[in-house]
Amino acid sequence: MSTMNRRNFLKFTTAAAAATPFLAGKSAFAADEKHIVVIGGGVGGATFAKYMRLYAPEVKVTVIERKKEYQRPYGSSEIIVGNVDMNDITISYDALQKKHGVNFVFDTVTGVDFDKREVSTENGTKITYDRLVVAPGISFDYSGIAGMDTEAAQQAIVHGWDAGDQLLTLQKQLEAVPVDGTVVVVPPPNPYRCPPGPYERAGLITQWLINRGDKNAKVIILDPKNGFTTDVTMLQAWNRLYGFNLPKAFEKNYKPEQVATFTKHETPGKIQWVMAEEGGRVVKVDVAAKTVEAEAGVFKADMINIIPPLKAGKIALDLGLADKSGWCPVDQKTFESTLHPLVHVIGDACIAGEMPKSGYSANSQAKVVALQIKALLAGQPTIEPVLQNTCYALAGQSDYGMFVADVFRLKDGKLKRADQPRYLPFNASTAQYRLSAVYLHAWMDSFTQDIFS
Amino acid sequence: MNKTITGALAVALGFVVMVPAAIANPEQTANGAQSPAAVMAAQTCGGCHGTMGQVKDNAFMPLAGMPTSQFVLAMKSFANGSRPSTLMGPLAASFSDAEIQAMAEYFAAIPKFQHEANK
Ligand SMILES: Cc1cc2nc3c(=O)[nH]c(=O)nc-3n(C[C@H](O)[C@H](O)[C@H](O)COP(=O)(O)OP(=O)(O)OC[C@H]3O[C@@H](n4cnc5c(N)ncnc54)[C@H](O)[C@@H]3O)c2cc1C
Repeated sequence: MSTMNRRNFLKFTTAAAAATPFLAGKSAFAADEKHIVVIGGGVGGATFAKYMRLYAPEVKVTVIERKKEYQRPYGSSEIIVGNVDMNDITISYDALQKKHGVNFVFDTVTGVDFDKREVSTENGTKITYDRLVVAPGISFDYSGIAGMDTEAAQQAIVHGWDAGDQLLTLQKQLEAVPVDGTVVVVPPPNPYRCPPGPYERAGLITQWLINRGDKNAKVIILDPKNGFTTDVTMLQAWNRLYGFNLPKAFEKNYKPEQVATFTKHETPGKIQWVMAEEGGRVVKVDVAAKTVEAEAGVFKADMINIIPPLKAGKIALDLGLADKSGWCPVDQKTFESTLHPLVHVIGDACIAGEMPKSGYSANSQAKVVALQIKALLAGQPTIEPVLQNTCYALAGQSDYGMFVADVFRLKDGKLKRADQPRYLPFNASTAQYRLSAVYLHAWMDSFTQDIFS
Repeated sequence: MNKTITGALAVALGFVVMVPAAIANPEQTANGAQSPAAVMAAQTCGGCHGTMGQVKDNAFMPLAGMPTSQFVLAMKSFANGSRPSTLMGPLAASFSDAEIQAMAEYFAAIPKFQHEANK
């Protein structure tokens, strides 16, 4: 069927269905058709739904999603610094429904009866499945940070790690930072969504303050870790761009001749990274006084952005799909939960060996699970999986990009990364940094196409 | 409200946009003919190069419809460093010759994305 015909056909069936819903419903789905239900229409859930329909058009797919439109977290720090606005990160579910025939129920999932294979929602709807795919993203755990355990504290100091209005709050807070003020950014401990993300955000904020004309503004990163994905590329960039001095304790991650190429800046840089070994771990926050107490001392700030420790999305925890770590253990070949059969967990919520919690990982996992479910429904053997992740990040300046890229395969029951370089080489060419930034911006669009159109 | 809904009934009740389960579109037809291992390897490219390599109006190279020899040559030159790249070098080096060949055949069989204006 040509595209033209398909479009007409679609128009016709949609109109016919509206007129005689029962008939259309019956003729559309035969009783023996398999039904896959998906909890969450984010990167993982939406990619799964689209690819399940592409790989196996005979399978019915219903996504249950609490929000009518998706706001993408990937690339969302650029909202804070005004590079993009909320419209740019808001995505419609229309194409998934109209072009790919994915059913959507806009409601919040509240429970699953695993014996009856039945999902229930806040509005009282119950939906049965042959297999269930759970992709609810993340939740936030403030219990370990003294001073952050109240609702009021969490509204004053926001994470902005799950898109939404918190990004606008951070944007306003940044605009309100006085000239030559101080911003404190607190990344979470491992594992967490988007490993280079908190550092990219710190870089973007630094660049924004410089663009505003601040000569002595400061961005301080208080970190519970001694390293992060893309660190060797990012720290070199900051040394070049922002007068950043390499922490002594980090020098061992470079070769001595590489350390020698770092400039030793006389005045402390505009961006500062206090790694765990140097006292970066935060113990207490005083919201009213705007101070953050770390092991290294007390830091006074004009703006504080804390990304607390993360866990799997709340519904995954409620359903008993997570283990003690707060994340969901899954078979590494099929992503079927090791705690509940016929339930697959993908995206940030699952434990996927060495795969990071990223959009690209969620997207790749979703496609693998669609292929595995297709095989399982047909009574065929599952397929040896190959997965990929690519995370781009900016140093702060919009034309200085970098990335981490990996291919993952199953080895001894775990997803392991292929033994290849994952970052740009040290001292890459200017063209490579610039091109990485070009591809970063291109990816925001191509990736969204792959999931939602 | 408390009801039990299966897929067909959910449609009938108008919860969802009505689309028949099996729409024969070119993407689906193309995938049906491919070996599962080829589809598995090729899916890893889609996050940048678009679904089935049919990325639209973007800095990334569309892979759909690329001749097999061109795909294989590009991947091998990325992998051995003779073609400069940002991340394609290490990524290409992570795939076996057999996987590269399977991906090449997969993309060669997918129709090129047609720009609306050129139809
Ligand atoms: C600042 C930032 C930058 C990032 N940059 C990148 C990047 O450059 N590259 C990259 O690959 N990744 C990036 N990411 C990470 C990426 O956005 C996430 O890894 C990805 O969104 C995870 O997909 P997911 O499907 O697991 O969760 P989500 O995309 O969060 O989707 C979960 C969905 O489930 C829904 N949901 C949850 N509970 C329920 C319920 N009970 N009932 C119904 N619906 C429910 C939610 O509404 C949501 O739509 C970034 C993230 C951030 C915060």
